[in-house]
Amino acid sequence: MAGRVLALQVGTIAACLVLWEALARGLGGPTAVMPPVSAVLLDVAANHQVLLRGVLRTLTETVLGFAAGAAFGFLAGAAFAESRLLERLLLPLLVVSQTVPVIAFGALVVIWFGNGILSKMVIAFYLTFFPVTVNTLRGLLSVDRQRIDLMRSFGASPWCLFWRLRLPFALPAIMASLLLGVSLSLVGAIVGEWFGDTVGLGIMLVQAMYAENLPRLWSVVMACGVLGAGLYGILAAVERRFVWWGREL
Amino acid sequence: MRFTALVTAALVAGAASLAGTASAAEAVSVRLKWVAQAQFAGFYVAKEKGFYAAEGLDVTVNPGGPNLNGETLVASGADQFALAGGIENLLASRGKGLPIVGIAMMLQRTPSAYVAFNDSGIRSPKDFKGKKVSTFFTGAHNTLYAVLSKFDVGAADVTVVPQAVSMAPFIDRQIDVATVMLFNELNVLKTRGVKDFTVFRAEDYGVSFPSDTVIVNEKLIAERPQTVQAFLNGSMRGWKYAAEHQEEAVDIVLKAASGLDRAHQLAMLAEYSKLMVADLGTEKGIGVLDMTKLGAVRQSLVDRKVLDAGVQVGSALAPRFWDAVPTQYKKP
Repeated sequence: MAGRVLALQVGTIAACLVLWEALARGLGGPTAVMPPVSAVLLDVAANHQVLLRGVLRTLTETVLGFAAGAAFGFLAGAAFAESRLLERLLLPLLVVSQTVPVIAFGALVVIWFGNGILSKMVIAFYLTFFPVTVNTLRGLLSVDRQRIDLMRSFGASPWCLFWRLRLPFALPAIMASLLLGVSLSLVGAIVGEWFGDTVGLGIMLVQAMYAENLPRLWSVVMACGVLGAGLYGILAAVERRFVWWGREL
Repeated sequence: MRFTALVTAALVAGAASLAGTASAAEAVSVRLKWVAQAQFAGFYVAKEKGFYAAEGLDVTVNPGGPNLNGETLVASGADQFALAGGIENLLASRGKGLPIVGIAMMLQRTPSAYVAFNDSGIRSPKDFKGKKVSTFFTGAHNTLYAVLSKFDVGAADVTVVPQAVSMAPFIDRQIDVATVMLFNELNVLKTRGVKDFTVFRAEDYGVSFPSDTVIVNEKLIAERPQTVQAFLNGSMRGWKYAAEHQEEAVDIVLKAASGLDRAHQLAMLAEYSKLMVADLGTEKGIGVLDMTKLGAVRQSLVDRKVLDAGVQVGSALAPRFWDAVPTQYKKP
């Protein structure tokens, strides 16, 4: 069964690529925006070293920003769940922070955090922490009242309640936000590179776009897609392995 | 005896290395107006060939990008120097009170031009009237309006739309006239095999807007003028070398930004050098501040009422640093 699904998945991707090649060749001229997939794959092969270097740099930025954002989001969500006052005071500020598009303060990020990997990490962090905060908070608060009362009646401490009941209950929601967050982290790292850098997938996108090197543009887009899908896949595997209970609890 | 000589030698070596640490290179950064490419070859060359080190500087070249403004970053002190926009951008920033000063001008001629397909019936900028024209609103629009005014075409007679990074809207004929940088988009059109279009160069209509100003914060000029001089000496030397050794210069740029296309970068540097080594740039040297031309640009902006008449070219530019750059570093 699993083998058949896999075969179907591979088949679907292959069919899409064939369709892409046919459409690009059939409809596009030399000035078309969509190059045939063969031209894109040739570019990938010819520039694999540059691409690999870009993937590694963007991956580093994404993972660091994601880790920081996930940790902060979890702590903030947990703190808000414990203290409603804190939630009332600080959550609105976090909401406001998310309404400002990050591209609007690119110059500020550079002025504050410089040109190194830190500024990209900060943008990835900025996009990641909010969904994790909200889902952690909602998850921790959604525990059935009766279960809490039951455990209290057996003399469970707040600490014990958190680790044994609230957290396991919240974990599926938290995992869902991490899956969302890792994609946002990648977007953050890519956008962060637009504010001055020479290595990374984000800057390669800008270079290709500016020079209208369309096969390159698509080979970088493909690399971004593979990177994003890979990160998502790893987290989804972690979820299946460690948070297998879903919302059934 | 030999022992004494050895000890002396060791002491001298030690003292020399100490002196070396004491006069360690001063760290400064320069912000480019766009991502790393041959348009900025001179700075990369100066760093790679040790021209900055020879002046006692350790220069970091920071690439620009969308939404990054060299004028703002130099005014805030995040970068000491920048290769900023045209003279019109510098004057506009001065008008807003930013404490930045121009010390050199890389392009002696207007880098922008306009393209229209031959079958569109557009034979001169006069025919832009009633057409859809796209341009960059980062400075090039001022050049466009100046060209149009030469033909008595008002800003209201033309539909001016902001131009995206891509030439696709022009190729797909969604717009009638597009703006091109002679060293970039024009080459892009050629490499993409677009044919049968006419190029209208702003320069041909007497609109000469020098561009790519090297800017610095007023504060740095007041506090460390020798640093400003050192940076300009190294940069001009780097630019002269880049213009005279274009293949090598492009390879140096590619080392910093490996994702670029070599042929495109070579074409860019060739075209960029033509705009740089031109007019007073040929006569006096690369990067010269052509005060007559710059004054004329200011006047045209004031006449069009887009610049406050109080903004003067004299206070926006400090030619004394360029004047002090050794001739062999700048004269082509």
